Amino acid sequence: MSETEPVTVQIRTWWQRVEIKRIVWTWLGLTVLLTIFALTVPTRLMGPPASPTMRAVESTMTVFSVAASAVMALVLAIAVYSLIGWRSRGSEPPIGDGPPIRGNGRVTVAWIAVSTGLTMFALIWGLGEMQSLSADASTPNAMVVNVTGQQWVWTFSYPQNGNVESEQLYLPVNRPVVFHVTSKDVIHSFWVVQMGIKIDANPGEVTKTGVVPDRLGTFDVRCAELCGLLHAHMETQAHVVSSSNFAAWITAQERRAS
Amino acid sequence: MSTTTAAPTAGHHEDVDTVGRRWRLGVGFIIVADASFVAAMLFSYRYLRGLNTEGAWVPHGSATAPVWSSWVLAAGLVISAVVFRWGEKGIRDGDSGRLVLASAVGVLLLLVVGVGQVVQIASFPFAIATGAYASSMYLLAGANLFHLGLTLFLGLAMWNRARLGRYSATENWQVGIVWLWWAWIALAAVFSALTTSFIASPAVGG
Amino acid sequence: MSTLNTEPLLGIPAAGGGLMRRLNVVTAAGGGLVLALVGWAIARHFMLADDFGPDQVTVITMVCWAVGFMAGIGAFNGPIGWLRGRDLTSEDELFLAGKDQGIRRYFRFTTDHKVVGIQYLVLTMVLFGVGGAMAMLIRTNLISPNSNFLSPQQYNAIVGLHGLIMVIATIIMVTGPFGNFIMPLMIGARDMAFPRLNALSLWMIVAAVPILLSATFLGGIPTGWSGYAPLADQAPPGMDAFLMTIIIFAISSAVAGANITTTVLTMRARGMTWNRTPIFIYGVVASVGLAIPAFPMFMASQVLLGLDRTMGARFYIASGGGSPWLYANLFWLMGHPEVYVILIPAIAALMELTAVFSRKPLFSFNTAVLGIVGISVLSVMVWAHHMYVSGWAPNLNGAFMLTTEMISIPTGMLFLVILGTIWRGRIWTRLPMMSTYAMLWNFIIGGITGLYLSDVPVDYALHGSMFVTAHFHYTLMGAGLTGAIGALAYWFPKMTGRMLDERFGFISFWLVQIGFNVTFMGMFAVGLAGQPRRVYTYDNLLATGNFVSTMGAYAIGIGMLFLLYAVFSSWRHGELAPSNPWGSKTLEWTVPNPVPLENFEVLPVVTSDAYGYGEEPFEPFEGPPRPDKLEPAHVGSSADEDSTEGARP
Repeated sequence: MSETEPVTVQIRTWWQRVEIKRIVWTWLGLTVLLTIFALTVPTRLMGPPASPTMRAVESTMTVFSVAASAVMALVLAIAVYSLIGWRSRGSEPPIGDGPPIRGNGRVTVAWIAVSTGLTMFALIWGLGEMQSLSADASTPNAMVVNVTGQQWVWTFSYPQNGNVESEQLYLPVNRPVVFHVTSKDVIHSFWVVQMGIKIDANPGEVTKTGVVPDRLGTFDVRCAELCGLLHAHMETQAHVVSSSNFAAWITAQERRAS
Repeated sequence: MSTTTAAPTAGHHEDVDTVGRRWRLGVGFIIVADASFVAAMLFSYRYLRGLNTEGAWVPHGSATAPVWSSWVLAAGLVISAVVFRWGEKGIRDGDSGRLVLASAVGVLLLLVVGVGQVVQIASFPFAIATGAYASSMYLLAGANLFHLGLTLFLGLAMWNRARLGRYSATENWQVGIVWLWWAWIALAAVFSALTTSFIASPAVGG
Repeated sequence: MSTLNTEPLLGIPAAGGGLMRRLNVVTAAGGGLVLALVGWAIARHFMLADDFGPDQVTVITMVCWAVGFMAGIGAFNGPIGWLRGRDLTSEDELFLAGKDQGIRRYFRFTTDHKVVGIQYLVLTMVLFGVGGAMAMLIRTNLISPNSNFLSPQQYNAIVGLHGLIMVIATIIMVTGPFGNFIMPLMIGARDMAFPRLNALSLWMIVAAVPILLSATFLGGIPTGWSGYAPLADQAPPGMDAFLMTIIIFAISSAVAGANITTTVLTMRARGMTWNRTPIFIYGVVASVGLAIPAFPMFMASQVLLGLDRTMGARFYIASGGGSPWLYANLFWLMGHPEVYVILIPAIAALMELTAVFSRKPLFSFNTAVLGIVGISVLSVMVWAHHMYVSGWAPNLNGAFMLTTEMISIPTGMLFLVILGTIWRGRIWTRLPMMSTYAMLWNFIIGGITGLYLSDVPVDYALHGSMFVTAHFHYTLMGAGLTGAIGALAYWFPKMTGRMLDERFGFISFWLVQIGFNVTFMGMFAVGLAGQPRRVYTYDNLLATGNFVSTMGAYAIGIGMLFLLYAVFSSWRHGELAPSNPWGSKTLEWTVPNPVPLENFEVLPVVTSDAYGYGEEPFEPFEGPPRPDKLEPAHVGSSADEDSTEGARP
């Protein structure tokens, strides 16, 4: 590229090079394919969300994947084209060197600028999400559930509901809940899979996380920190039910306890 | 002589100063690694003190160690380092005798501090299992003892080698490096005494 | 060689007399066993029969083994001789360097960096073999839910051991063999700065391996390789094997790090300014530069664990004022830089060979250096992204998200350098270069999945799941190990004097890479679907994904066996390599095969960097010999059995 021509002319002549065209088309094609993948696969694997938290998680996965598609497609397009258009055929050594390109200031600056921009985007997106989720979790009329992990069982107690204890987690739908989590022995991790919340259970400390379950159904509660022999079996279920069913369950539990 | 022992070019003579600078750099990196370990221990003390998990940093009813004892030991180490430094300066002026004397006195001081360190450990008014503070005190005391042991080896080597005339005004880079290490362990003891001077946790435990 | 001075200097007697000449790995093992037995017997006699007794006995026995082993290999001879005023003569030094010892020098405390490099290579291969076999066991157990192939205890123990073995193996896989053998040649030096410390670092790891493997008989490592307290406090004596291994390894790494860094800083050839220093050197220095402050933190975490386990200390026991968060912080302060310790040399080696196999200068050398430096600096500021869900400091999660996401910028620079180097090059797709392409694919996936995990809310969903396992395998194995294999294929001719068999190399490459992607894509899927990590069984819904992963794993296993076969057979019967089969411009290719003991007759003076492709007149080079032009294999191999020089075993 001649340095004396105006930038627009340079770009136009650069674009007209055959190899650039082929790489760009490959890039676009791969971006489309990867974007389709990004829009469909992660959310399908993660399953229907059971809380706004999980919805945020799934949308973040999708958005980040879409943004990453173009990046990955670029890397692949150049790599693939190099094996077709620039390859020295055969196993004999090449019979000449390539062009002595030591660098390209514009490309380098552009590359760093774009990657910085994408990073800033991811950061701001993430911070925004964290902001809205913490706002959700700290609502004053949140129901409190104490979660105790121990090798290899989860126990839930409801201090605001007659200190009912249970090994199954029952929650009323659409009501913010805050979990106070601790452990009796080693580190466990309280994970409600479809609600997208997780917090470690530490001995001697109480950690907190909150969520608003907004879908009725039965969901998985698993331990996410290796805690010994039967870590794989340290799971139970979270039942999200209507407020009236929840109240009925509480009453039944209280009656059973007395 | 000691040039070629250090030279990586078995028999190819290298300039003494080059070899000396190379070794000083290498030992500098080893000190960085050791400093990182010391920092980790001091960080542990501060962190556990700050958390005061279940109020058991210093459990109710248990005793703490007198702060002055760590400072006395640290002072002893500093003095031994200063003494050795006097010897190192001497050899740079060509005075081998001064190095011999300084090494001997330095080693003796290390032994005294070593004994003192053992006495400190033996007279801790708590067991290692009493609580996190107690465990940390044992850890730091033990680490100091380990440093002392290594330095004792180096000090003895300095004394013996100086006695045998291995060092001169032009050939003394090994002495300089031992001084570097000696100064570091004295400094580490001072940092340790400083950190352990603050005992009571600012946090209400539990 | 005739210029060497072999007279004892100044009449000072030789150190140790003939003792060093009689010591080798056999006396080392003997010394270790004897002292271990003595220590075990004495410890058992005196240890209180309380909770801590078994751990005290175990730790003391292991310490005695290590000390006995090092004494038996002669590691203490030098320092004790030095204290006594008996310095080594030139003759001693030549002996230590392995002169005139043939193959026996590989079984001794040999200081020649080329010997140490080969020793590291063999050690690394052994570790990968054992760790890989364990991976096959793990995946076999996970082939179906409730397979009952392994008991929960066996499974957890194997997961822990697999993890630690692989972490150690990946840390040493590039800086060990190539940082030792190749690096001094590449900078135009005759050896490392501290040859005896070099041998010390290697033999310390060898001493640690039996300790590590003894965990198998001591109840295993039930915590995964991260050894979280307080689960680690209640673990069987296998955990003592864990912490002792790490303590020894940390010391070895600190020493090796000081050695490598000092060598590069002070022993580059005349004229090799920083601008003319190959990028591989930057990668190796950055890696050990990170290791020097980071690994002692790991060591500290283990010393504290050791005190908890053997003496009832309360560092990690909440009821005694201790905190599991202390362990987590100390561990991850090391744990995050450690992954870059693993990754950077592998990528740097690939950058080095990509220039050669594209016949182009490295694109934007300064950006490559900036990328390496940027990653290194940032890597010490991100550790608590492993602790987002621990609850230790929720207010800091955002800050760590920032620093973690920022690492993608210098990482992206390395992609730019490699793609820019490939751009319009003359791509020679031999085996080393294939690793670059595999890395590009694997690392972009590893990097992007890392971005997901760095986002705090997403991490709340994915932490502790198989998604994390897949992410770090994509980066450490897909990029790291792939890079190490590329480095092996690239430098094999210089290290062994023979070409690595490319037919088996290519078969291995495709089996491993395809198997790898099948295995770990399957793992991303089950992780997203909610499978925790380190579980010996899982929900029936996840059966397909796990089955697919296991099939991929078997392909990796078979592929690795092909690679092993290729390495063995090439080493013994491979085509003899010319001294510069790849037409590379770095200094290590200017020395003949086998590499002489002294490396260079005359130390080189450097006047330009090693990337002048297209700038200097092209000199056609013969390249590796073609298989049909192969000389009869036995010529040359037996003649070199008792070679006095160089690297050929």
